[in-house]
Amino acid sequence: MNTLWRKAIRDFWHERARTALVVLAIALGISAFAAVLSSYAILTRELDRGYLATNPASAVLRVDSIDDDLVKAILQNPEVSDAEPRRSISGQIKAGPVQWRNLILFVVNDYGNIRVSKLVPEQGAWPPAAGEILIERDAFQVAQAKIGDAVLVKTANGVEQPLVISGSVHDVGQAQARMENIVYGYINLATLVQLGENPTLDQLNILVAQNRFDEAHIKRVVADVETVIASRGHHVRRIDVPRPGKHPHSDLTGILLLAMSSFGLFVLVLSGILVINLLTAMMASQVRQIGVMKAIGGTRGQIARIYFGQALFLGIAAVIVSVPLGIIGSRALCRYMAMFLNFDINSFAVPVWVYLLVAVIGIAAPLLAAALPVLRGTAVPVRVALSDFGLSQTTFGASAFDRALTRIGGTFSLIVFAIRNSFRRRVRLVLTLLTLAAGGLFFLSALNVRASLINTLDRMFAARKFDLSVFLANPNELEKIERAIGNTPGVVRAEGWFVTDASLVSRFTVVALPADTQLLDLEIIEGRNLAPGDTDAIVINNALAGREAKMRVGQTVVLRMADAESTWHVVGVAREAFSPALAYIPLNSVQQPRMVNSLRLSLANADSDVVKTDLDRNLEHEGVRARGSATTAESRFAFDQHMLMIYVFLIVMSAIIGGVGGLGLMTTMSLNVFERRREMGVMRALGATPRIVWLLIVAEGIVIGVLSWAIAGLLAWPISKAIGDLLVRMLFRAGLDFTFEPLGLVIWLLVSIGLSALASFLPAWRASRVTVREALAYE
Amino acid sequence: MITLNQVTKTYETPAGKFAALKHIDLEVRPGEFVGVVGKSGSGKSTLLNMLAGIDRPSSGSVAVAGTEIQDLSENKLAVWRGRNVGFVFQFFQLLPTLTAAENVMLPMDFSGTIPLRERRKRAVALLERVAVGAHADKLPATLSGGEQQRVAIARALANNPPLVLADEPTGNLDSTTAKAILDLFREMANQGTTVVIATHEADIARVIDRRVEISDGAILRK
Repeated sequence: MNTLWRKAIRDFWHERARTALVVLAIALGISAFAAVLSSYAILTRELDRGYLATNPASAVLRVDSIDDDLVKAILQNPEVSDAEPRRSISGQIKAGPVQWRNLILFVVNDYGNIRVSKLVPEQGAWPPAAGEILIERDAFQVAQAKIGDAVLVKTANGVEQPLVISGSVHDVGQAQARMENIVYGYINLATLVQLGENPTLDQLNILVAQNRFDEAHIKRVVADVETVIASRGHHVRRIDVPRPGKHPHSDLTGILLLAMSSFGLFVLVLSGILVINLLTAMMASQVRQIGVMKAIGGTRGQIARIYFGQALFLGIAAVIVSVPLGIIGSRALCRYMAMFLNFDINSFAVPVWVYLLVAVIGIAAPLLAAALPVLRGTAVPVRVALSDFGLSQTTFGASAFDRALTRIGGTFSLIVFAIRNSFRRRVRLVLTLLTLAAGGLFFLSALNVRASLINTLDRMFAARKFDLSVFLANPNELEKIERAIGNTPGVVRAEGWFVTDASLVSRFTVVALPADTQLLDLEIIEGRNLAPGDTDAIVINNALAGREAKMRVGQTVVLRMADAESTWHVVGVAREAFSPALAYIPLNSVQQPRMVNSLRLSLANADSDVVKTDLDRNLEHEGVRARGSATTAESRFAFDQHMLMIYVFLIVMSAIIGGVGGLGLMTTMSLNVFERRREMGVMRALGATPRIVWLLIVAEGIVIGVLSWAIAGLLAWPISKAIGDLLVRMLFRAGLDFTFEPLGLVIWLLVSIGLSALASFLPAWRASRVTVREALAYE
Repeated sequence: MITLNQVTKTYETPAGKFAALKHIDLEVRPGEFVGVVGKSGSGKSTLLNMLAGIDRPSSGSVAVAGTEIQDLSENKLAVWRGRNVGFVFQFFQLLPTLTAAENVMLPMDFSGTIPLRERRKRAVALLERVAVGAHADKLPATLSGGEQQRVAIARALANNPPLVLADEPTGNLDSTTAKAILDLFREMANQGTTVVIATHEADIARVIDRRVEISDGAILRK
């Protein structure tokens, strides 16, 4: 090892406390980056692997009924490798005294021979016998039941059948039950009969033989299958072709992890700023040494290599520290995401490319950060370098800004002195403020986005003037329903709606409701709302407007509804955040305006469970079967659960960035103190006690903290709005009703003061312990 | 060895232009030991900086060992300096994180003229020559001022340069140590190295071959 490398290493050892701080800060950045990058690699691999292991259906066709002959005929097609009939049916489940919960029942004829969209048995019995039900593992919490419990189950026909929960399964392809607030149950045909339903299967899961991941090919095969079904006198009600080979939550996970990766990169950039600060200070303190080295024959390139070597060392040390930390972080993140998305991780193996990328970025980032200070530091002419006297000789007071600063406060005080001192190294101050302010910005953004999401949901739910939705098994006469409601105490207002599907280019839901509805106050953003007397008017929501280019206000469209085509005039667009594509038409414009299949009820302050029970009984008395119900509060809970991950993500981000910022401030204060040792010696010689020196430095740190708070506060509005809009658009394709959370400013001010006092405590303590003689001897 | 022809150096200062050197003509023969004497601020250091290529003249030319150095780029000057000039500073300017031997090896590492394996041996030999061989593996902070200056002299001799320049090399030393250091320079000159010392001390007459007096940037006596 030649003397240049020795110098590089020993200089760092000489400044080991500061070096350790910077290594820690870079390691924090790289760890965050490594954690999200590893998680991205593991989760995308495991999510799709786990999903593919279930042999997911290429397409799902809803047919009026399926028999063995039909399945055999479909399997004649060499392009179809498998076809398996099932049935899914809505119902309700009740465990003990708990209220009825919405249930989706999956009916499988032969559990021993599931080949498509396989279920994974987890605990208890397999397969379920007659009178038994298996519950999806994530749905136990929703059902508030456990294996062995007896539950009541009813479908739309209203027959309440006691069943025993005999086991749990994992249905990889389903959305998380807790999030959807729904129970997934699995029964056989015999149990279906016990529930009073016909023992028919109506859902055909198709698996194509080749090109399984080619959506166009799948659609071609499905079209052939549909022809076969039609030729045998059956009717296909609906076809779903999921994205081939991709878990339904694959995109959501990808977007979330991409956002996290961007954040990891951002933290890395911030920690790079610390390298700039450290090396700039080191170059400043070594100007004369650089001059000497040049004077004895060192070229700029040779000298620059010393400092780039130090940056290389910082990067390598940080990578070594951060890789294990990153892996630990990634495991925690993967476990959280797996729990969140209800899937299992078989292997936490991190691909080699992740290690390589982390190493390359971890090493390159400090080198890049070092480039400017090193190139500038080594460019100083020899004569100038040899006559460098450090910060003490810089001319504070030369600029108008300096002179303006001297007018702050009027008389000398600790704070005035601290303010002026904090502005002596402007570039360092700016870089430190940048890291601290970034932490504040993320924190304020987290609170603002949270407040905005709540505001958006508040507005969305404010449009819903009902407390309870009841979904009927079949369309029923409004008169019967009005009688049942009339006999149910606690209902203030009720409306019958008719909900159906329609298609133009895509399929969407159409809600037929009274044109003068009192239970839905749509926020119209273009055109107008439905009005009494409308016959062919249709109001669409923004999600549908974004999907169907032909549906514009003033346009006439032909929709296919209930196997018939009808013409509608688009009169308005309503804003509905987080809503699927929906259209609203007047109830009196449907073929049978007195027939409804959905109820909306506004309740007095009555217990919704009691109202639901009473209403169910009264509806049954009228011969009307409800297949499910949901209170508005339950819907709101599901939305809040979805938003939780955004809050958690932003809060964790701000904590990490705040940590990097704190380390940055500690480095800055340590450098500031180091450079002003002689000045402090002079102050001490003039009578300043160690306590005053200590207070002065802590005050300087707090000044920087408060400045960073002010910057974060000023930028918080536009930045948090942009972050919130971006995240919400990525995850939900909806806008945000932005609102500013003023409490965040107060909290972050306290955090900034606390963090900056903490970060400057150690440098201040060390400075106060230096003797006057040592301080004055410092050159 | 050294030829300065009408060298002028002017600095821009907030108070206006300041002429540090005014039309200097100077010749130094190979192996000559020259003392540049003058008061503080007289231009001694600037003159030495011109000779080392540390600073460039505003006008005129500087030729050292046959090379006109005023037009060389910074990098070429550094390489040239490493091979041709040994520089000794008033405040020693040893690199604090390198040992005495490593400080001496540093110019060898820069210029690459001495084979890698011989550098340590040569550094120790040079340190022994200036009587600090026992301190080869000590850091500068543990050495006395005189010892540090001896290490600095050994460092100046690292690449066996034909020219050694010393700017107030005894200015920070007690009289006994200063005398020993000056003797070392004399010994160097005796062995054929051209030595130019800038000093404000008048009592160097006993060691130097020639005295050049400088005042207000002009040479009074050569």
